[in-house]
Amino acid sequence: MSITDVLLRLHQNNFYFFAILLFIIGFHTMLTHNNLIKKVIGMNIMDTAIFLFFVAIGYIHGGRAPILEPGAAHLYVNPLPSALILTGIVVAVSITAYALSLIVKIYQHYGTIDAEEIMRLRGGETL
Amino acid sequence: MNAAHHLPVLAIVLPLVFAYLMPLFDRWRRGWCTPAALGVLAVSFVASLAMAWQVMTGGPYYYQMGNWPPPWGIELNIDYLAVFTAITMTGVSLVVLVYASKDLLHELKPHLLGWYYTLYLLLVASMVGMALTNDIFNLFVFVEICAIAACGIISIKSNKECLEASFKYLILSTLGSGCLLLAIALLYMVTGHLNFTYIAQALPEAMRLYPYNILAALALLLVGMGVKAALFPLHVWLPDAHSSAPSPSSAVLSGLVIKIYAVSLLRVLYQVFPADIFEVTPVLNILLWMSTLAIIAGSMFAIVQEDIKKMLAYSSVAQIGYVFMGFAIVDFFALTGGILHVFNHAMMKAMLFMAAGAFIYSTGVRHLSGLKGIGHTMPVPAVAFAIGALAMVGIPLTNGFISKWYLVLGALHDGQPFFAAVILLSSLLNGIYYLPIIVNAFFSEPQGRVAAPLPLPRQMQVPLIILGLGCLLFGIAPSLILGLIYRASEALLGL
Repeated sequence: MSITDVLLRLHQNNFYFFAILLFIIGFHTMLTHNNLIKKVIGMNIMDTAIFLFFVAIGYIHGGRAPILEPGAAHLYVNPLPSALILTGIVVAVSITAYALSLIVKIYQHYGTIDAEEIMRLRGGETL
Repeated sequence: MNAAHHLPVLAIVLPLVFAYLMPLFDRWRRGWCTPAALGVLAVSFVASLAMAWQVMTGGPYYYQMGNWPPPWGIELNIDYLAVFTAITMTGVSLVVLVYASKDLLHELKPHLLGWYYTLYLLLVASMVGMALTNDIFNLFVFVEICAIAACGIISIKSNKECLEASFKYLILSTLGSGCLLLAIALLYMVTGHLNFTYIAQALPEAMRLYPYNILAALALLLVGMGVKAALFPLHVWLPDAHSSAPSPSSAVLSGLVIKIYAVSLLRVLYQVFPADIFEVTPVLNILLWMSTLAIIAGSMFAIVQEDIKKMLAYSSVAQIGYVFMGFAIVDFFALTGGILHVFNHAMMKAMLFMAAGAFIYSTGVRHLSGLKGIGHTMPVPAVAFAIGALAMVGIPLTNGFISKWYLVLGALHDGQPFFAAVILLSSLLNGIYYLPIIVNAFFSEPQGRVAAPLPLPRQMQVPLIILGLGCLLFGIAPSLILGLIYRASEALLGL
């Protein structure tokens, strides 16, 4: 497969490509940053990437919103992934709220939101 | 309407509804909270037993939610594995809740008790849901409910350690759910279905057309569930989370929550993915070696711990290894051993954590060397701890022996004696850290706070006695539960 073929494939599947790219950015932010807020941001980027991926699966080129009109035969996009992702978004929102409230509590107890610093305050205990 | 038809949904929805009523009860009649929560779990437990009766007499069946037929509606799959898991989850959590009703008064502020029951019932409902569901997106929703509720029952104690541990748990758990959701997206993309049965039918064809999608989905699933089930290199969150939580939370988290993910993974691997994918990729081999590492490394870490609850937490890392080992050796006996260990370890570890909680409740001592002579002053929890410890080591007449026996039998039957040796070695390692505690507890003179412990309430003694007798009962007469498990493994292996 030549480089132009690869680029063409990427262009055709750009939704998936960017979703996976975002997923990796989020994943990386979540695991490598010490700032707890940044971890939550990374978590949200990751979740959004998955939602983008999921919704992109249901997209059909040239399809319209699935509002059925009697007698008219149109091409519709698949509504199921969008409906599922609504649930996913609700879950992500609640987890974000919970994580942020935990961070508030952590700040009250430790006076910092830096994971390394918290580790040090706890006596350098790892694993 | 005949209520017997609706048992599966009843077992899930009842705790779910009562979870949200608990804070109301707490405002209105605080005394009603505990009986209501216990009653709901008891009903769930009885419903699970009744489902087991239905399945054993009439065979497995499907329940359609809201009467919508499968490709559109959500289906519950009431088969042998599902009822077995539901019985384990509801039964053990019921016993733990009896203990929790007294222990929490000491560990939490009194106004939080109602909220604790909310989280606890949500957790149980989601675990029963995960056990019964036959729909992969439904599985994801229950996984998320379980993740939040599990973090909630740790962070409710709201001290330094708990907050930090639950945040770490939450982040890694979200990572796991993210991987799971992406795996679901990849599977849905190539099969167009969310129902396990339909995905399984569409996968062999999809496997030929889009092999990479399915391989990626498999990898993500393994990582996602592996993080949540604390399979060895992904276990980093477990020791802190399980050791800092209130004792009843530790008991359910270690005893039940990590197992339910293992069981869900088992169901997806065996029932959804076509068997020939395991010839293309060494997934089961990877799982086997990860579990071997878990068994050895978990025990090694446990040996060096000084804190009793931290030691038990590391021991859980090792024990989840047995469960995965049973799943990964594709053999009837090993699978039986793995599934049986889900049940046995749930009882043993819940009992050990509750016994440790009883020591902490009465004496305030968490340090292992401080517990010398505890057998003289607190006989009930010390004997329960001893039974649990012997079961962990796998001494005959305890239930731990039976599951290890089946695992060894499976490893030998499959022609892999190395893994049988691993199990024997790990029993020795378990002995190294459990037996000195028993010896010290019964053959030393009690000193300091251990010499004059606070009296232990009856609600905290009875669960220990029940689980202790349970460990012995299922060690002497394992056939009580084995009939169900035999059929579950036969169904999974397609025998």
